[in-house]
Amino acid sequence: MDLNDEELIRRTVKSGDQRAYAQLVRRYQSQLRFSLRQLCDGDQGLADDMAQEAFIKAYKALPAFRGDAQFSTWLYRIAYNLVMSHKRKNAPEVDQEAVDRAQAEETVEESQRLGMARDLNSAMGALSDAQRQAIHLCMQRGFSHEEAASIMKLPLGTVKSHVNRARAKLQSLLQPWREEVVNG
Amino acid sequence: MANFEQRNTRGNTLADLAIEGKDPQFDAWLAEQLQFDEPYLDDDGFCENVMAKLPAPSQQSERRASRFQYVAVLAASGIVAWQFPFGEVLSEAARQSISLYSLVGVGMLSSLVVMAGGIFAARR
Repeated sequence: MDLNDEELIRRTVKSGDQRAYAQLVRRYQSQLRFSLRQLCDGDQGLADDMAQEAFIKAYKALPAFRGDAQFSTWLYRIAYNLVMSHKRKNAPEVDQEAVDRAQAEETVEESQRLGMARDLNSAMGALSDAQRQAIHLCMQRGFSHEEAASIMKLPLGTVKSHVNRARAKLQSLLQPWREEVVNG
Repeated sequence: MANFEQRNTRGNTLADLAIEGKDPQFDAWLAEQLQFDEPYLDDDGFCENVMAKLPAPSQQSERRASRFQYVAVLAASGIVAWQFPFGEVLSEAARQSISLYSLVGVGMLSSLVVMAGGIFAARR
């Protein structure tokens, strides 16, 4: 039976039921790892390490989780903090080999995808980091602007601005595809 | 649906509307494309790795869980004892001349089996 996040959190905290927490990990692992891969510039190993650390940190802090925000928002906030902190500490030590390897693998995959997906990726690549993150959180993950601002630790107005600018840029870059869809 | 660069009745281009965040059709289309493009990442041992690195549950929650188990076992034993026809068994034993000592032994053994079963079931 699929229990909701609140019930799983309650069981984890009150009864020390780690199987309940395992359900939460399984529920969010794919989305979080995918998001962090984008945040880590394609370094899949680093993204998975960060996601793992985020789940462990969230577990330890779970008794303090008051449920003001959704669990997913709270988890993303922890994960984003970890990645940003890691980036600040290790800025010059990016594992370029891992990045190149991941990008090479992606290129092979991408060549097999539809042109739309390829152009969308390329358009997303044209955005600044902050714009890409804001669009990813708001339009791909469905977080509200307020939630995205809380995750990214930015003022609400800044996030709205990032989203609007990114949306305009994407609209301009993806215009041919949009026209194709519109014109049938 | 309006063409991408087509102007609306107020004379704004769709790009203008996007900047203002007022083109829900583009938003919906973009969100759909972004989500369609996202693969599902197989767990591939990720969850097991996380679970292996979690700290053990706090002793307080373990103690609370144990208390619940003991209460459950005691309640189950109480119900069994309440429903068990001790009087009939004793009178039957007297009629059949079964020694009281063997009867007590059988009773204790049954209780142990019930309690062990209860504890096992509660831990499962």
